[in-house]
Amino acid sequence: MRFLLFLLVSLYSYGVDATLKIEKDVEQRSRIAIVDASPSQNNIFFKILLADFKISGHFLADSSHNKGTMNTNFIASNLKNKEYIIQYSLTQQKGSNLTVRLLQTSNGTEIFKKTYAIPTKSKMPFLAHKAVSDINDVLKFSSISWINRYVLFSRYTTARQSEILLADYTFNYKKVIIKGGLNLFPKWADSVQKSFYYSAYGGLMPTLYKINIYTGKKQKIATSEGMLVCSDVSKNGSKILLTMAPDGQADIFEFNIENKNKTRITKFNGIDVNGKYIDDESRIVFVSNRLGYANIYKKSIGSAAVSQVVYHGRNNNAVDAFKNKIVYSSRESKKSFGSNQFNLYLTSSQGSNTRPITTTGTNQFPRFSTDGSVIQYIKHRGSGSSIGYINLTSHQSLLFPLSGKKIQSIDW
Amino acid sequence: MTKKVLIATVTVTALVLSGCSSKESELNPGSIGNNNISDATQITEKTVSIDENTYGNENTKNEQVSAANESNSNVLNASSNVNSSANGFKSLYFGFGEYGIAPSMDTRMSVNSVTATKHTKKIKIEGNCDEFGTDEYNYALGLKRAKAVKDNMVAQGVNAERMIIVSFGESNPVCSNPTDGCYAQNRRVDLRLAK
Repeated sequence: MRFLLFLLVSLYSYGVDATLKIEKDVEQRSRIAIVDASPSQNNIFFKILLADFKISGHFLADSSHNKGTMNTNFIASNLKNKEYIIQYSLTQQKGSNLTVRLLQTSNGTEIFKKTYAIPTKSKMPFLAHKAVSDINDVLKFSSISWINRYVLFSRYTTARQSEILLADYTFNYKKVIIKGGLNLFPKWADSVQKSFYYSAYGGLMPTLYKINIYTGKKQKIATSEGMLVCSDVSKNGSKILLTMAPDGQADIFEFNIENKNKTRITKFNGIDVNGKYIDDESRIVFVSNRLGYANIYKKSIGSAAVSQVVYHGRNNNAVDAFKNKIVYSSRESKKSFGSNQFNLYLTSSQGSNTRPITTTGTNQFPRFSTDGSVIQYIKHRGSGSSIGYINLTSHQSLLFPLSGKKIQSIDW
Repeated sequence: MTKKVLIATVTVTALVLSGCSSKESELNPGSIGNNNISDATQITEKTVSIDENTYGNENTKNEQVSAANESNSNVLNASSNVNSSANGFKSLYFGFGEYGIAPSMDTRMSVNSVTATKHTKKIKIEGNCDEFGTDEYNYALGLKRAKAVKDNMVAQGVNAERMIIVSFGESNPVCSNPTDGCYAQNRRVDLRLAK
């Protein structure tokens, strides 16, 4: 009897651990297979679908490019070990058109069907993103709507020349929005991605503009000797954080878009840059060299006190924040050059729970998604560069190759 | 008693195990379906393309830069012929991550102060960095270098009102080879007359 009780208690304990493991590794992700019913198969589109399902953290997608037909509820025997089947048909005769069906494998029931159309062929990746985002919502997983957003970035073309582009998050879609001159540091001005700020270095004084990507309407916001960067935009778009140098010293200012009032937040005879709102936007984190090397600090907007956030590394020169979460890049190697390596670290505005989230290569430009669940970054490894994504919840990561030109700044 | 304990234990165990595989899956067919992708984004709309070539080409052609000086020093050797300034000015070079003017640059600074007296136009002082560093910090570092040169010129008697400083960060390299000597050429301040 004692043995039986011991066995049952042991089984009980095992059950608790097993539950945790199953939830993490299997049960929370749905096993799916994708069936391509397009008149002509498009491998790039299929790979984008696979990437979307993977980075969501909610699906275990079979990487087989299965061919089949639409509008049948018959499930092939080799697919019956999946929970769901996604059938799709992509045509690109006039623009891009996509029809998607979601079937429950156990009984062949259609759970969801939708047709998507977009007038531009090159915007085809957005059809995949929207379809996967919708399927994710239908199955009641937490939202991944960030995959539908435009990525905005600037890249150098030649010395003192750059261009600003829009892309989808995989960089399969890219379009130049501004070319010519030296235009840098693009930053979305609103949550719906209609306008962005950027710094023009064409004249004697760097000038900050706001431009509407649909009408081209351009508005001059501010000028400053030396440098001028829009580092962050408040949630409602009414205030922005600027790095300006009116006296030749880079400091952080808060600029009220409505009444044009400018408030100096930092005053230091060194380098203060990269201000990011944290918590309820009454405080900021920023990069400063006030201890002789680049590191991460925080302060309240209304007070003078500055406190150190990161007690790790000797060169932490870029930061991004989402509420109380902070991501920063840190140089790991003491060497100036060569196999110089930057890793990304995640911490909190209290400096707690610090942990590395990359381990190889040179990882820079960390940016949170709009919901704070995913981090975007640029990875240089060997002779190649990639744009990377790390899902902080599911620990899934993805890399998409970047070609050639050096990225200057990025936002999404 | 033993039987009751046994029954209770089996019941609890069964509940735990059943919890392992329970997963709420209330599907809502057709809950989304407006047959377009603009219901959540603006992506279907056409976006603009703007050519700003009419701006920003004020003076992008640097003077000829001689071959890289492969110095072991962190600061480019001041006696080298490397120079990317214009109008008789001399470029100043800096150590990695530094913005203080090295003593080896004193001669060049003196040349610049004398050259400044020969002109009446405003002088543009441009701070530059190598490619190591990320966006904003690199631009601020370039600015600190330009500011250090401006302050030195003021100390040598040049009117501060005649000088404008700007940082080009890593955007204006004069050398693109992956060597220390090449990177050292890019950590510099250039001077030229403003147009």
